[in-house]
Amino acid sequence: MEILIFVKQVPDDAVEVRLDPASGKPATGNIDKVANAFDTYALELAARYVEANGGKVTVAAMGPKGTDSMLKNLLAVGASKAYLFTDPSFETGDENAIAARLAQIAKKCEAENGAPFDLILCGKESTDEISGQVGARLAEKLGLPFVSSVIEVAPAGDKLVAKQETEDGYVKFETSMPAVYTIAKPGYDPRYPNIKAKLAARKAVVPAFSAAEAGVADAESFVELLGYTEPPKRQAGLKICEKEAADTVAKAMEILTSDRVL
Amino acid sequence: MAYLISEDGRELLKDVKDFCENEIRAQVKEYDESGEWPKDIYDMAIEMQLSMMDVPEEYGGLGLSHIDQAAIVEEIAKADAGIAVTLNGNGLALKPVLIAGNEEQKQKCCDIIMNGGWGAFALTEPDAGCDAGNSKTTAVKEGGEYVINGRKCFITNAQVADFFVVTAMTDKTQGTKGMSAFLVYKGTPGLSVGNHENKMGIRTSITSDLILEDVRIPEENRLGEEGTGFYTAMKTLDLARMWCAVIGVGICQRCVDESAVYAQQRVTFGKPIWKHQAIQFMLADMEIRTQASRALCATAIDLADSGKPFTTEASAAKCFTGDSAVKNALDAIQIFGGYGYSREYPVEMLLRDAKIFQIFEGTNEVQRMVIGRAVVGSHKI
Repeated sequence: MEILIFVKQVPDDAVEVRLDPASGKPATGNIDKVANAFDTYALELAARYVEANGGKVTVAAMGPKGTDSMLKNLLAVGASKAYLFTDPSFETGDENAIAARLAQIAKKCEAENGAPFDLILCGKESTDEISGQVGARLAEKLGLPFVSSVIEVAPAGDKLVAKQETEDGYVKFETSMPAVYTIAKPGYDPRYPNIKAKLAARKAVVPAFSAAEAGVADAESFVELLGYTEPPKRQAGLKICEKEAADTVAKAMEILTSDRVL
Repeated sequence: MAYLISEDGRELLKDVKDFCENEIRAQVKEYDESGEWPKDIYDMAIEMQLSMMDVPEEYGGLGLSHIDQAAIVEEIAKADAGIAVTLNGNGLALKPVLIAGNEEQKQKCCDIIMNGGWGAFALTEPDAGCDAGNSKTTAVKEGGEYVINGRKCFITNAQVADFFVVTAMTDKTQGTKGMSAFLVYKGTPGLSVGNHENKMGIRTSITSDLILEDVRIPEENRLGEEGTGFYTAMKTLDLARMWCAVIGVGICQRCVDESAVYAQQRVTFGKPIWKHQAIQFMLADMEIRTQASRALCATAIDLADSGKPFTTEASAAKCFTGDSAVKNALDAIQIFGGYGYSREYPVEMLLRDAKIFQIFEGTNEVQRMVIGRAVVGSHKI
């Protein structure tokens, strides 16, 4: 079983992002860059799958040069190969363009590995832009079966069974291979790397390819990003500080009535 | 940060930080109250190889630099000093083996630890703490065996250890020169472990008596020559003090972290308490002590790494850090006021944890004796 996982490098989602007043864009320069959480869930799911059923996990990312550091870290927690695709042309484009590039990148990874992929995984969304479209669009471009928000994958002969998380419970789908799935949060967390694996991974060299080297053609964007706005600040609430509880309730009722809430 | 850690070290430190945030911080409160040994946390720590950082690379170890290791140990200690003490227990048990053992002994003990096992260093006795030469445990040679009898106390990790380094007198007439060190493996007949000590602090570490009743071990389990046990133990303690200080810095830093946050949240007389100069000065003194403690650790580590004498520096680091941890914890409680005295808040535990750092691995009084003698020794008239 050959599994490819596309990973996006995102600003640490534990840090609140504000807009840079000068550029009008999110100020993420000083925020640590990490692998998108849903992509790390995909890697853990894939690592567990190959540990149980055999196979190999490849990770690939589009991003600036420093992105290889994130990919190295993934080599310590279940991935055995990593490729970076870095090109100025990758820095713009909508979800359609990104999916078109990833479809071509998947082919390049197959050529590098010398083996086709049986399964391609993406996180169900990225924690920065949260469009949740790329996985589905990628499946469309590759003409492959697609299941979203998967939390479990099991072998079924020459097919795969994907358990999809829904609001009410779950649905099981059987698909042929290769297939594209997007991964939601399974019932476990990604593993911590052990020190030896981490130190070995840090020494690894991640092959990097430009658009030309990877054979990635220009991709069309249909959506234009006009700008970012911050969510409106919450208004300060009213404080009612009467000495007696009865007076507090009376005051609250008065305000609610005068504002025609009641 | 006084530890100039490598880029790889920084990446490792992020993993350890995540582990501490997610798996240790919230859980330890319960273990602090119950006194239970948090096996689930230790199992995860073993998976991450945090119990194996003292195994040298040539014996299958991790190849971490000591400075990177110090930063990692401090990070763990910041989350819980007891867990750092337990993990460090493996280093403490390995050191005498690496100092005095032969290749076979070294490899065997390193393998035990690399396979997720534990070691324990058994020097202290009810009547021989800092006065280790007063040991009552004996090892009598009979044919190709030694028969060991005695009782050790306050032994970290004794209940879980797979191997023990035990010191015993092979010739009482020789005083400290009559002490030898031995490897005793778990399951050896006559070896038993006493009750878990119900300690004031570092309650996530396990501490017990070790009882040796006619424990027979083959001669090849002796570490080094007969009579070298005291020297081995003292060399072990030089190194151990350094690492004990590194853990103490973690407590110092945690006190600063907790206090700096609380001082911004708590309002008195219409302003956050950090705006009162009295609190600012306390925070400043806590920070100064923390930085100085870490710098003393870094100095001792650098000297030890470069093969230069470091006994005085290790003692200075241990002594100053132990005192600083207690002072910082007291200040943290003072800044928290009444809440600091409550077990609902984290800082009272820090004081209970900190106190042992003035006691174990040689009390701070003994450290001052070591340093005082060295100072006079280097100014002989």
